[in-house]
Amino acid sequence: MNYPVWDVPILGNGLVIALIAVFHIMIAHFAVGGGLYLAMAESRALRTGRREWLEFLPAHSKFFLILTGVFGTVSGVGIWFSIGLAAPEATSSLIHNFVFGWAIEWVFFLVELTAAAVYYYTWGRIPEKLHLKVGWFYAIASLATLVIINGILTFMLTPGQTWLSVAGTGSEPDVFFAAFFNPTYWPGLFLRFLSCISLAGVWALLTGSLIDGRQRPELKTDVIRWSAKWLVPGFFLLPFCMVWYLWKVPTAQVELAQLGVSTIGAGMFTQVTRTVLISIMASGTILAVVYLAAYRNPVDFRIGFALGVLLLAVAATGTSEQARELLRKPYVIVDYLYSNSVRKIPVHRGELVVSEVEQFNKDGYLTHSIWAKAADARTVQPVPSDADEKPVTVPSDLDVTRGKLMFRGQCMSCHTVDGYRSIRRLLAGRNEKSIHNILGMLHENKEDSPYHAYMPPLVGTESEISALATYLNGLVVKPIE
Amino acid sequence: MTKSSSPASERSTGGKLWEFFDQRLGLSGILDIALHKTVPQHSQSVWYFMGGLTLFFFLVQIVTGTLLLIYYQPGGNAYDSVRRITYDIDFGWLIRSAHSWSANLMVFVLFVHMFSVYFMKAYRRPREFGWWSGLVLMVLTMTFGFSGYLLPMDELSFFATKVGLEIPSKMPLVGPAAASLLRGGPTVGQETVHRFFALHVVILPALFMLFLTFHLFLVQRHGNALPPSEERKPESARRSIRFFPDFLLKDLAMWLIALNVLGLFACLYPWDLGLKADPVASTPVGIHPEWYFMSQFQLLKVLGNWFPGAVGEVIGILMVTISGLVWALVPLFDRSSDNKMMSRVGTWIGILALAGLIALTVWGYAAL
Repeated sequence: MNYPVWDVPILGNGLVIALIAVFHIMIAHFAVGGGLYLAMAESRALRTGRREWLEFLPAHSKFFLILTGVFGTVSGVGIWFSIGLAAPEATSSLIHNFVFGWAIEWVFFLVELTAAAVYYYTWGRIPEKLHLKVGWFYAIASLATLVIINGILTFMLTPGQTWLSVAGTGSEPDVFFAAFFNPTYWPGLFLRFLSCISLAGVWALLTGSLIDGRQRPELKTDVIRWSAKWLVPGFFLLPFCMVWYLWKVPTAQVELAQLGVSTIGAGMFTQVTRTVLISIMASGTILAVVYLAAYRNPVDFRIGFALGVLLLAVAATGTSEQARELLRKPYVIVDYLYSNSVRKIPVHRGELVVSEVEQFNKDGYLTHSIWAKAADARTVQPVPSDADEKPVTVPSDLDVTRGKLMFRGQCMSCHTVDGYRSIRRLLAGRNEKSIHNILGMLHENKEDSPYHAYMPPLVGTESEISALATYLNGLVVKPIE
Repeated sequence: MTKSSSPASERSTGGKLWEFFDQRLGLSGILDIALHKTVPQHSQSVWYFMGGLTLFFFLVQIVTGTLLLIYYQPGGNAYDSVRRITYDIDFGWLIRSAHSWSANLMVFVLFVHMFSVYFMKAYRRPREFGWWSGLVLMVLTMTFGFSGYLLPMDELSFFATKVGLEIPSKMPLVGPAAASLLRGGPTVGQETVHRFFALHVVILPALFMLFLTFHLFLVQRHGNALPPSEERKPESARRSIRFFPDFLLKDLAMWLIALNVLGLFACLYPWDLGLKADPVASTPVGIHPEWYFMSQFQLLKVLGNWFPGAVGEVIGILMVTISGLVWALVPLFDRSSDNKMMSRVGTWIGILALAGLIALTVWGYAAL
């Protein structure tokens, strides 16, 4: 069960996670690719006698240290904080399955942070060869964090049949490696690695653009051109990795990306298509922009254009990550945990094997919700069966309260009242009966339902669903809150 | 070994092709002009991209507008055809959203271009006609926006046009006749859609191309103007880059960034369609024009409240007309940096115009 205590008006908690995550990924991928960049750049400078690079690299590593060590770290904690609040059930599942994975990642993360600080503060203070070794040490540690976290991230989209066959039995740790090296692990790892080295180039272009081209034309030309080349592997190899990745993703999930080809109809989950389009366009044009604005005329490459390139990188990375998240619908962990935190697979509770969907439909969703009891004990009392038959004319306070708790528990992880995926906008123009019909379709969750592909089953008793319809109708007719 | 004296028989296929076209089209002459043209490089060079960006969004308008023409039906089926484009046809929503967003972005960068030209004093001799032709292009662009806004015939576009056409009808003497001519009758209806459609896809593009060609010819003729701060520098301290290929390729990079910005808007905020317009319904509360007409709309609204009857609106129309005239005639009194007083007057007029435009627009939205 979810604990829907976190209500973010307008944005919704899902969007808050997305915003923090995109910010974090822009920096975290830089932390991985940038480590390689620094080590390779320093190695190249020492090997080829480019001493002037040793003036640029400390400045770049200072920017790197601040961005990754401060903003990357804080936003990483922000992700934990926000997913813990928005999707505690999913977070709990991941921790239970991957606790050692995460522990290993944190060790590498600690090594990475320490090495980054040592690397920056020892410029010119320790022998050059030793300093370079610190750089490589950092690069390997940061790469290791990617190798670990990728297993957990890809697991959510493709947990794999081996893990699913034991999910909910308590034997999940036995198949740790099957879950970790899940079907999209390798394509996901290559995708992220290519993205990391591209972002290393993008961020280096940003700091490189600050070099005075009039004063240091040779240095600026070398830095800009070398940094621009870091985008080349990603540009040419990412499409192949993407095809490989999508080949491993279940067809039903891939098909979600086509829902918005012909329409922008509300409630049709069309945004995946639009998100994918942005990702393709930004990824497909960034190298051309870098070539035209930076590589051809590096001396005059200024911060304005560098920010333009960064904008494209943010658009490409942000939308790719969002598309990956959206493709998981209607699940948080595909084929295991729905986005409303209800498990699809029956779970073992002591001697019993329990289907949460059936249990909540029979006993009531709110009955099993600890937070609902805390909110209002009256709301979880089973309503007499004849109450279901009564036509709703004037909603009682109790109906509205129970409906609101249903909304908080099962809708609010994706929808807001007035902002992102606004329920008021999606249901505009409908009356209570029509809303009830939609909720009925969501409750039955038949395979031929238009909502089946991206909406989880709405669980609860008939009276709870009626209470939700009453609450939602109140939102549509006139603001309740 | 040099190949410069190679006989024609030894020349590459590309060389032969070049010669074929060059002899017939005079490409060497065009290339020669392009290679000799330079663009100043200084701290304010970014503003030189604005004209090109406006042109880019105009080109997007042509491409997406042409695609929309395949499915759009003016008249009684206008709304249903736009509905089909938005909700049924593959990527129809994308074409329509790109068309609408690029129209708005075109107006926005056009305003930026106009004010950057103004504050760089690029209207001074010998560039007065560049300034005037630019102003004509701006008026045509805004008319494009006004005429295109009605075409979907949804509730918002219908009533906004209805309210918008009431403004010229208040103009003394010619007002009612002009409004009636645009409407095609006493009220906004199917006839209006036909007229606006003809205006939008035939008359305005023809006029626009004419003035655009003239404008680009003048830009080529006089080159990019230097801002006063650069003008004061000795010639030896000034820098420039070749227009072809250096500036042109940077311009292309800017266009690609603009394409992405357009794509972001079109995909993240696709242009929706409201309810079908009901001509007999009363005007809904909060109907307002597009953002680029908001300042004029707010001025007329405020003056209408301050003065009784139609007096306020007539005063407002006169104020807008006089302001436009002053704006157009600035090159005639701020003619050179030597006249410090007139130069300062010109700058202050620009600051006043920009501040007034922003303040009235913000006020207009706040008052909705």
